[in-house]
Amino acid sequence: MSSLDPQTMPEQHILQQAAEWFATLSGDEVSDQDRAAWQRWFSSHTDHQLAWQYVERVGLRFSQAQGQAGSDEASRILKATRNERIHRRNLLGGSMAAIAGVMLWRYTPLSDYSQHLATALTADYKTATGETQELALADGGQLWLNTASAMNVHYTEHLRNIELHHGELLVQTAADSQQRPFVVTTTQGTLRALGTRFGVQNMHETSLLSVYEGAVEIITQSGNTATLRAGQSAHFSVTEIQQPGPVSDARQSWARGMVVAKSIPLKELVEELGRYRHGYLAVNPAVADLSVIGIYPTDNIDQALAMLEDALPIKIKRALPWWVTLEPE
Amino acid sequence: MSIPDDSQTLDSLYREHNGWLRGWLRNHLDSYHDAEDLTHETFLRLHTHAKPLNNLSKARSYLRVMASRMCIDMWRRKSVERAWLEVVSNQPEALAVSPEQQAIIVETFSEIDEMLSQLPERVATAFVLSQIEGMTYRQIGEQLGVSERSVKTYMARAMLECMRIEARFDQAVNS
Repeated sequence: MSSLDPQTMPEQHILQQAAEWFATLSGDEVSDQDRAAWQRWFSSHTDHQLAWQYVERVGLRFSQAQGQAGSDEASRILKATRNERIHRRNLLGGSMAAIAGVMLWRYTPLSDYSQHLATALTADYKTATGETQELALADGGQLWLNTASAMNVHYTEHLRNIELHHGELLVQTAADSQQRPFVVTTTQGTLRALGTRFGVQNMHETSLLSVYEGAVEIITQSGNTATLRAGQSAHFSVTEIQQPGPVSDARQSWARGMVVAKSIPLKELVEELGRYRHGYLAVNPAVADLSVIGIYPTDNIDQALAMLEDALPIKIKRALPWWVTLEPE
Repeated sequence: MSIPDDSQTLDSLYREHNGWLRGWLRNHLDSYHDAEDLTHETFLRLHTHAKPLNNLSKARSYLRVMASRMCIDMWRRKSVERAWLEVVSNQPEALAVSPEQQAIIVETFSEIDEMLSQLPERVATAFVLSQIEGMTYRQIGEQLGVSERSVKTYMARAMLECMRIEARFDQAVNS
């Protein structure tokens, strides 16, 4: 990307607006109004576009770091570097900081949340956005971890426990010679496998269980239970288990690197594809409900988008490198 | 008295100040060679950066600021290099890269660490969890024990600071 002329750098308050837009648009639930308002802001002044270039470049820098090392390794490197920096500062005391005038931050001792952070970072398995991982469990079972997910595997004398911190997994359990129960825990509850193949997605307020073979018992944190059989799926919260519905093939097909769409609205498919890709991906409401049929690769989202562009009356608009929208043709 | 146009002045500044600066750098660095390198580097930068120095005490504090910044840069690079080598040693096949690629990676991470170092820990952590780990605001909020609203504020603040530093990188290139 070309270097910007510092003379023409936008004013402070415009940089701040751009930073706030970035924070809004990176949020978990971005409304169409937000997007439209951003578009108006972006188009209304060249200074806004210039400021947004800085946002993009910072985003690019971080995604480069993630791409170069992988997200797990990248955060380990940054953490180690940060710790050394803090350690060094302690050794040197305040004298250098005062002289240098560059130490604008204050050192704070490890608090509870840093401890939590440390636990999260030592999660046994973690995937970056766009990455899926397949692994063989010690008992002969098979497990797939989907994009942007983290989990711990604890096999003890009495229990085979998978802790799904966030994201999604699919597991094919094996009979255990020691007959230990196989359980998956999410934020909302515990799932006990009764000889089976099933998938779990740990989302914001609920987890989604999809059973493909055998049966799985749900035990919510509050103690409610229900057993789901093959072909059933259900969302559950900390307290409640929703009425089971049919399983979705998409919740299983990702383990083979694809999303299977059987007459689903375009917006649902795009939401699913967006999980495998960094940056912003959205559908114009005018085409959001077009029905989609097909098999789309999750390891090449650009190809999946090109396939959609061929099959539907839409066009892919890449306003900015990590800003992609599907518009009417 | 303006520094860059007057080599006489640089020369006399060097004679006047190299002794204590070298001593100061040796005190702060483990390696004798690093201290020597940075001493020369500091005067070299003084030469290339237009900066009026009106009196002796100002020259002294200016040299110290520059020297300590360079110490910080060097330490940062070395930390990143160490952390990177450790990651590589755990996964030798997956991350086999050429020396050139490694230099680029160290550069990328040093720049990111420089950005993050300007932020309060909580803000920096939120930004890394989002941009590197791909977590949602809700997940970050849960991890940090703060509301999603606070996470959003952290993200805006982190981005603004990173944008400022991004602009400073530009100025360094263009000046």
